[in-house]
Amino acid sequence: MVAVAQHPNIQLMTMAEVVNVDGYIGNFKVTIKKRAKYVDWDLCTGCGTCMEKCPTKKIPDAFEMEMGQTTAVRFLYPQAVPGKPFIDAEHCTKLLNGKCGVCEKVCPTKAIRYDDKDEIVTEDIGAIVMATGYDLFEWEKAYGEYGYGMYPDVVTSLHFERLSSSSGPTGGKIQRPSDGKIPDSVAFIKCVGSRDDTKGKSYCSRACCMYTAKHAYQLKDKHPDSDAYVFYMDVRATGKGYEEFYMRSQKAGAKYIRGRVSKIYPKGDKLVLKTEDTLLSKPMEVEVDMVVLATAMVPAEGAKDLAKIVGFTTDKDGFFQEAHPKLQPVETFSAGVYLAGTCQGPKDIPDTVAQASAAAVKVLGLFAKNELATEPMISEVDYNKCSGCEFCVPICPYKAISIKQLAERYHGQQINRRVADINPSLCQGCGACLPACRTTAITLKGFTDEQLVAEVDALCL
Amino acid sequence: MSIEENKEYTPKIIVFACNWCTYAAADLAGLNHLEYPASVRIIRTPCSGRMDPNLVLRAFNRGADGVLLSG
Amino acid sequence: MKRRVGVFVCECGTNIASVVDTEKVAAAAKNMPGVIFATNYKYMCSDPGQELIKNAIKEHGLQQVVVASCSPRMHEKTFRKAVEDGGLNPYMFEMANIREQNSWVHKDREEATQKAEDLVRMAVSKVLKHKPLKIATIPITKRALVIGGGIAGMQTALDIAEAGHKVLLVEKEASIGGKMSQIDKTFPTMDCAA
Repeated sequence: MVAVAQHPNIQLMTMAEVVNVDGYIGNFKVTIKKRAKYVDWDLCTGCGTCMEKCPTKKIPDAFEMEMGQTTAVRFLYPQAVPGKPFIDAEHCTKLLNGKCGVCEKVCPTKAIRYDDKDEIVTEDIGAIVMATGYDLFEWEKAYGEYGYGMYPDVVTSLHFERLSSSSGPTGGKIQRPSDGKIPDSVAFIKCVGSRDDTKGKSYCSRACCMYTAKHAYQLKDKHPDSDAYVFYMDVRATGKGYEEFYMRSQKAGAKYIRGRVSKIYPKGDKLVLKTEDTLLSKPMEVEVDMVVLATAMVPAEGAKDLAKIVGFTTDKDGFFQEAHPKLQPVETFSAGVYLAGTCQGPKDIPDTVAQASAAAVKVLGLFAKNELATEPMISEVDYNKCSGCEFCVPICPYKAISIKQLAERYHGQQINRRVADINPSLCQGCGACLPACRTTAITLKGFTDEQLVAEVDALCL
Repeated sequence: MSIEENKEYTPKIIVFACNWCTYAAADLAGLNHLEYPASVRIIRTPCSGRMDPNLVLRAFNRGADGVLLSG
Repeated sequence: MKRRVGVFVCECGTNIASVVDTEKVAAAAKNMPGVIFATNYKYMCSDPGQELIKNAIKEHGLQQVVVASCSPRMHEKTFRKAVEDGGLNPYMFEMANIREQNSWVHKDREEATQKAEDLVRMAVSKVLKHKPLKIATIPITKRALVIGGGIAGMQTALDIAEAGHKVLLVEKEASIGGKMSQIDKTFPTMDCAA
């Protein structure tokens, strides 16, 4: 992380979102909205006095999965990069009702800016890499049998990560959220939302088998007397060293039980899991102190809209669509736009890193050239024939067709006529616009109607 | 099969094949020496999206017995 | 555009010639409308084969070239280059696929030869409708945008930056790191995620 921030060739823009993309490969114009931080990061030294003194201290900390509390002016987390704080406008009393101003008073470099505004910038860009990642499936909305999120001790694996992290809300002690008790037993349930057509997603999220093995291992490592039960459908440990790790977790004492949990209900301060051991064909009930759900990976919030802005497609689950599942796994249908990581589909860290480097190579391959040759076998509009009906515009899968105004003289008068215009840098020469053109104004160079008809005639006669 | 058979009727099939999939698949069939009747004739198109119904009609009009559009 | 087509039928060693009578195809091509020159040769894609095309263009004043050989997905670029070297626009060229889609999938010599002739006729009639095309070039801004500062975004940004190009890394949160920064240790090595 620090390597990224310190690299002279990398410009970081945090709290920022891409709001518009124009142009084409090699020549994108990208509009970015930089959200107000209310802190001048050029002046701020990251000393943290503001966070220390901020009187609004009871905000549920989203970074800690709301298991901890934080302040209105804060670092996202203590090791944040860049190491500069921002003000949470939704909770800051100064920004909400004008009272307070403590951080401004205590800041030694006078870096606080309550009048900071969102800023829009436009950047010239040659290639775009999408790396928007994933979010966790909202199991609370789908899994009534697990309590719709009503039981505080039924958490997700990301909660468990925070609980076992030495920088987390419990300092690395695994304590259950409801009463802080170190659990005597924890149940890990895999495939919550994954591989579940009826309530969740049909796909496998690919990382859960391994991180669940890791969680069970961590529990046994930290609290050897605690029991770790893993409820699973299959164990998919297909990466290098994965099967060995899964074995290590079992050797450490994790108990693997093949079966779906059909119900979780509270009993005293315990949770009871109703399930079946399908290897023994025996229904069973297990009492535990805490339940960790390995929830499915889903595309990050807003991914679909972003795909639309940048100009490529998403698949049935909302992940970004690669140009070819085997041969072009990091390209999109938009030239100059590449994919890296879980935004393309669920994957674990090694695969993410590999794909990210692959995307970088694609960008570098493009940047190795000074100029880009465009394929000449592309569509062309005969403006004289074009009626400006716009039928071709939505048909084009590459957003290559736009409408332009053509200034013409008509009966001695100057008029503006609307015609379709094809951007030769975006057009991939598929010809989908031709059948859509009612006035045959569009031709595809190298595959004209005339040529295809000549071929048909030559073969048939 | 009898010896004095007449030449069997073999329909003339015109295939419009997308360059990126079906045409490549036809090449692959060749690479694997998979046999099919010689009366099948393939026309390469840049994409099945390029296909105009008029081209299909044209082929029938000019005596094709069957048209396969694949992409 | 003058109609002066040259047809070059490749034997591909015996890959084509064992099933297709290439000499007969070349002879038939000579009678096709627009064709003023036709020949067959052992390996059209070889150096002497390409020389044959270049010389024929100059000698016979060819305006269009048809090569009947393997799939255009294989050698279209090779022959376009040869046509260009011969002094023509590289797009005044068409291929007839008489290997992958003919000699390799048919056994009957007569039928295959007839089909090869048809495919050459198809290519000739298409090439006659070709117009010279121009390759345009566009400039490239050598600056990359990476959207998202998690593992994938950071790795991509670092790789591009290390290679010497500018990268703009846009992250919606106040820190890079993504989900990884919330993770404690990572399998299978159990090293820390920071």
